[in-house]
Amino acid sequence: MIKVSHVSKSFSHGKNAVNDLSFEVQPGETLVLLGTSGCGKTTTLRMINRLLIPDTGDIFIGDKNINTETPETLRRSMGYVLQNTGLFPHYTVLENIAVVPQLLGWDKTRIHSRALAILEKLRLPPATYGDVYPQQLSGGQQQRVGLARALAADPPILLMDEPFGALDPLTRISVRKEFKLLDELNSKTIILVTHDVEEAFELGNRICIMNEGRIQQLGSATELLFNPANDFVRHFLDKQRLELELKSLRLRDIWPYLDSAGGSTGTALPPDTSCWDTLEHLTGNKAGSILDGQNKHLDGNILITAINAYKKTVSQYGHA
Amino acid sequence: MDTPETFIDFVRQQSGKLLEQTLTHTGLTFISVLIAVCIGVPAGILISRRKKLAGPVLGITGVLQTIPSIALLGFMIPLLGIGPKPAIVALFLYALLPVVRNTYTGILGVDPNITEAATGMGMNTRQLLLKVQLPLAMPVILAGIRTATVINVGVATLAAYIAAGGLGEFIFGGIALNNTNMMLAGAIPAALLAILFDWALSRLQRVNMRKARKIALVLPVILVLLSSFYLLPETYSSRLKAGFTPEFMGRKDGAVGLRNVYGLQLRTLVISDMIMYKAAYEKKLDVISGSSTDGRVKAFDLIVLKDDKHIFPPYYAAPVVRQAVLDKYPELAPALDQLSGTINDSIMTELNYRVDYLQQNPQQVARDFLVSAGLWQPARNGSKGNIRIGAKIFGDGYILANMYKMLIEGHTDLSATTKTGLGGTKIVFDALVNDQIDMYPEYTGTGLLVILQAPQTTVDSIIGDNRKVYDYVKKGFAEKYQVQWLQPIGFNNTYALMMRREQATRLHISSISDLATYVHHH
Ligand SMILES: Nc1ncnc2c1ncn2[C@@H]1O[C@H](COP(=O)(O)OP(=O)(O)OP(=O)(O)O)[C@@H](O)[C@H]1O
Ligand SMILES: [Mg+2]
Repeated sequence: MIKVSHVSKSFSHGKNAVNDLSFEVQPGETLVLLGTSGCGKTTTLRMINRLLIPDTGDIFIGDKNINTETPETLRRSMGYVLQNTGLFPHYTVLENIAVVPQLLGWDKTRIHSRALAILEKLRLPPATYGDVYPQQLSGGQQQRVGLARALAADPPILLMDEPFGALDPLTRISVRKEFKLLDELNSKTIILVTHDVEEAFELGNRICIMNEGRIQQLGSATELLFNPANDFVRHFLDKQRLELELKSLRLRDIWPYLDSAGGSTGTALPPDTSCWDTLEHLTGNKAGSILDGQNKHLDGNILITAINAYKKTVSQYGHA
Repeated sequence: MDTPETFIDFVRQQSGKLLEQTLTHTGLTFISVLIAVCIGVPAGILISRRKKLAGPVLGITGVLQTIPSIALLGFMIPLLGIGPKPAIVALFLYALLPVVRNTYTGILGVDPNITEAATGMGMNTRQLLLKVQLPLAMPVILAGIRTATVINVGVATLAAYIAAGGLGEFIFGGIALNNTNMMLAGAIPAALLAILFDWALSRLQRVNMRKARKIALVLPVILVLLSSFYLLPETYSSRLKAGFTPEFMGRKDGAVGLRNVYGLQLRTLVISDMIMYKAAYEKKLDVISGSSTDGRVKAFDLIVLKDDKHIFPPYYAAPVVRQAVLDKYPELAPALDQLSGTINDSIMTELNYRVDYLQQNPQQVARDFLVSAGLWQPARNGSKGNIRIGAKIFGDGYILANMYKMLIEGHTDLSATTKTGLGGTKIVFDALVNDQIDMYPEYTGTGLLVILQAPQTTVDSIIGDNRKVYDYVKKGFAEKYQVQWLQPIGFNNTYALMMRREQATRLHISSISDLATYVHHH
């Protein structure tokens, strides 16, 4: 769906902000760009909607080079959520949301009903929030309006630059949960920028770790965790490693390493349950799991032993 | 005497004229602001996009702003003549800087995140400008328009100098005629207009974001409406066009007398003395109210129409000196009186011509004359005291003040300093009675009509006789102000109507009666 091919970009002063960047995003996939501040994430997004022009390299949507369309047409087909919301202060919430549909020439009633519907979906009751100005909203509400505005014209592609950046950690987690449940997003191809590791692992199908304008590694959560391409990736994830590992490993992944003695007692957890959730469950209850007709008993020790065995194998052979 | 007693009376009596001047003033202000908006806003938008142009454009408009307003009006005359055109252009140039600068800073001040969002949503440049940049920059742009308007209400008073009308007619007329009521009748409405427009625009500026978009539509309509107050004077007519100074316009021995005694009805513009002669020479005006000894009469080849019905009172020049100074320095009066009888009309015109037109130094001209008249002596020690000599801003004053300085320093032990350029009669006379100066050359007619404001009956009975007028003012000044008139110098710098020699000859006009007859039949 989106293909970035050997793209580099430098600004007037100094070294490349983005250096020989290549990746592909599949239709319906969410790719997360993760990296430290200033590593070129925003720059990458802005090149995809032609707010910036790459020095070298090409970008394709479908199989069309983005240079073949006018930038306006291109941009109207992509939702763009900005790092600092960028809501129009002189427009009400509803008017902000109506911007792209208006640019696309929708008729008035269609715009209005769509705006109301999307507000409703983002849990901002139009009766209360429709006619207020962005300054009258909290940071979290503003970000939701920003998202609503990007989604208004139902674009197939969504570019999101730290959409939850302005929120405190608690709100952030709950907004993220809502976000994951939004049916609007199901079929969309999304590139999401963040420098929050946890957020990246929670929302991304695949994660692209960047540093100083270069891709360090692009892969699934488990690939990054258990098979890091280099020290940067390893160190980048170290802080939250245990939590991330537990969250991204499912019972299915460590099945071969689980002690099969004993048989199951207590609740039977589905094999797609993450180790994190399993542990959480085990703090008060007994549990087991069934995969392919095989019934296994679970407790803390068994789980940790299995995980360690899994990691050992992966680091030796490069895969499980 | 029909001079109104109070300010209220004056306003009531002149209400028609006041209204007309106020409307003209408003129109002048807003036409120029409107043009400045039409040109300044696009220019501001342009330089916000092409930043390389910003420096030069803001620089040029900034320099325009620093040109003194009266000079800017002066520059306009050779290009655009007199009347509304140069006034509007000059006002427009003044209004340009605040409008351009505020549009530019307003647009650049829009949060880059917001413009990025707009562009990222797929707005093109035009949509970005109309939907985002202009609405968000509107309060700043309005502040610029507000500044421009207030500046222009002030500068527009000067439009009266170049025959464009407005409240300046009363203001400068009032200053010239020592008529406080007239001055206030111009100054107060001008100040009120400035306050009113400032307030109204500040209200516009503070309305909320939603309405900000509507202002962009409403504002031009309001501006056009206010501009239309200034009905441009009717197109060219074959009739002669007159230009009179604000002072002449209001005087009984000026435009009023022409109308009452000669029945002269001319299409008349109010214009500054400084540019009137040149305007006549350049055929922008046909009849002007000059002073008979002005050097420019000679320079521009004008002729003085004969005052065959004697409406212009004698304006014989003589030094007026505070009595206290004469008492303190008895040698002063004889020294000054030496000039008496030495300068007639044509000599004075010649002297003025050398100063005004040939740009010779007044000191040099004064010295040359005294030398040729055998009155010049090298300065003595000047240790006994100092005499401060004043002079009005125009005409003979400069030269006479210099002559008196040389006479005092050459023939007494006093020293003298000149304070020339003291504006009109009111300013210089106030300076005299308030002990800011000790003496200045004054005209008998001015003393009679402007300073003493003699009753009409008295004026009528003595006006034809130069000697009687002199005696009257001498007595009046001594009693009322303790100021002495010394011996008249000899020339009569009276008001006069003038025309280009060529035109007057062609139309067979040599006196004011001829002119009145001609106008009557055409
Ligand atoms: N318009 C610009 N002009 C000059 N340099 C720029 C510009 N935009 C970005 N840069 C530089 O390019 C580099 C990458 O910037 P970018 O905004 O892509 O970082 P980022 O990964 O989005 O960082 P953050 O997480 O802080 O938003 C930085 O070094 C930045 O200074
Ligand atoms: Mg960024």
